[in-house]
Amino acid sequence: MSPSTEFLDRLASAAVAEGLTDVTYEFVSTPIGELLVATTEQGVCRVAFQQEDPSGVLEELAWNIGGRVVRSASETQQIRDALAAYFEGDPADLSFPVDFSLMHSSFRRTVLEQLRNVGRGHVVTYGELARRAGSPRAARAVGTACATNPVPLIVPCHRVLPSSGGVGNYGGGPERKVFLLELEGALGA
Amino acid sequence: MMPSISYLPPFWTLVENHADELLRYARRLAGDDAEDIVQEAFLRGLRSYPGLKHGDHLRAWLFRITTTTAFDHSGKRREIPVADLSGETFEHSYDDGNFESIIEFLSDVNRDALRLRFVDDLAYEDIASKLGCSPAAARRRVSTAIGSLRERLT
Repeated sequence: MSPSTEFLDRLASAAVAEGLTDVTYEFVSTPIGELLVATTEQGVCRVAFQQEDPSGVLEELAWNIGGRVVRSASETQQIRDALAAYFEGDPADLSFPVDFSLMHSSFRRTVLEQLRNVGRGHVVTYGELARRAGSPRAARAVGTACATNPVPLIVPCHRVLPSSGGVGNYGGGPERKVFLLELEGALGA
Repeated sequence: MMPSISYLPPFWTLVENHADELLRYARRLAGDDAEDIVQEAFLRGLRSYPGLKHGDHLRAWLFRITTTTAFDHSGKRREIPVADLSGETFEHSYDDGNFESIIEFLSDVNRDALRLRFVDDLAYEDIASKLGCSPAAARRRVSTAIGSLRERLT
């Protein structure tokens, strides 16, 4: 037996109303599987794919940001609605504020901030992104930044491709990367 | 990074893992007010959570907070003098609404059993070996202690 949804919702609302949360999270169903989305007051701090163990993701949030991790449908409503619209083909960008607390390296942050400028339907190579981040020779480090992106989709690391061709790697798996690029019309027919 | 076992867990896992047993306990103590009491107990837990130093015995901590919240909720708390805790050091200095002052009226034997359950978070078998009695007797002592708390509350 688990506590009733009503009980949990009431508790989450009271906690949010009193400002007692460090992180709020919820799950959202998408065509590429169930995603866990987590937010702080600053913005979206984590988007996790299904194959990442949710309890591990929540622990990561608790240890790096704060233990008051609360599941809240209402606090995550906007981001969940925007993701649903995105998967339905809405061309609007997922331009939410991002909380990069989980990203400790400032170079990686710079890379991800640059990557936010790559819009829907566009792609960029690792080398080009390195150049835009001010370190043209750091293509490999850019690859690491993308691989450790805490907020996939919000920061569109699926739009970064190897210059050698193909779609390259993706934290969510290459098939998800292909799906997203096709959804955005970025893979030429 | 390999965290030790005593890291503070995400609070919501405590809610999901323990809400039911806390609700059952609160129902035993206070009947229909159980939901309100456990809601408030979790909020109190959240308020002091950032100040906790480790993640040991959190389940027991929640049982203590639920107990003290039940007393506050019923208004019975005012009749209980706050125990003088000066000079005493607690192994678990977590804010639990001064649980000790509430259980002070219990007999030594029942209070010891309840402490092993709600402070040290021991299973009945371990309580039994600490107290030198059978697990059934340990369970009975805890149960009697809770029954006495309930009487105080009504």
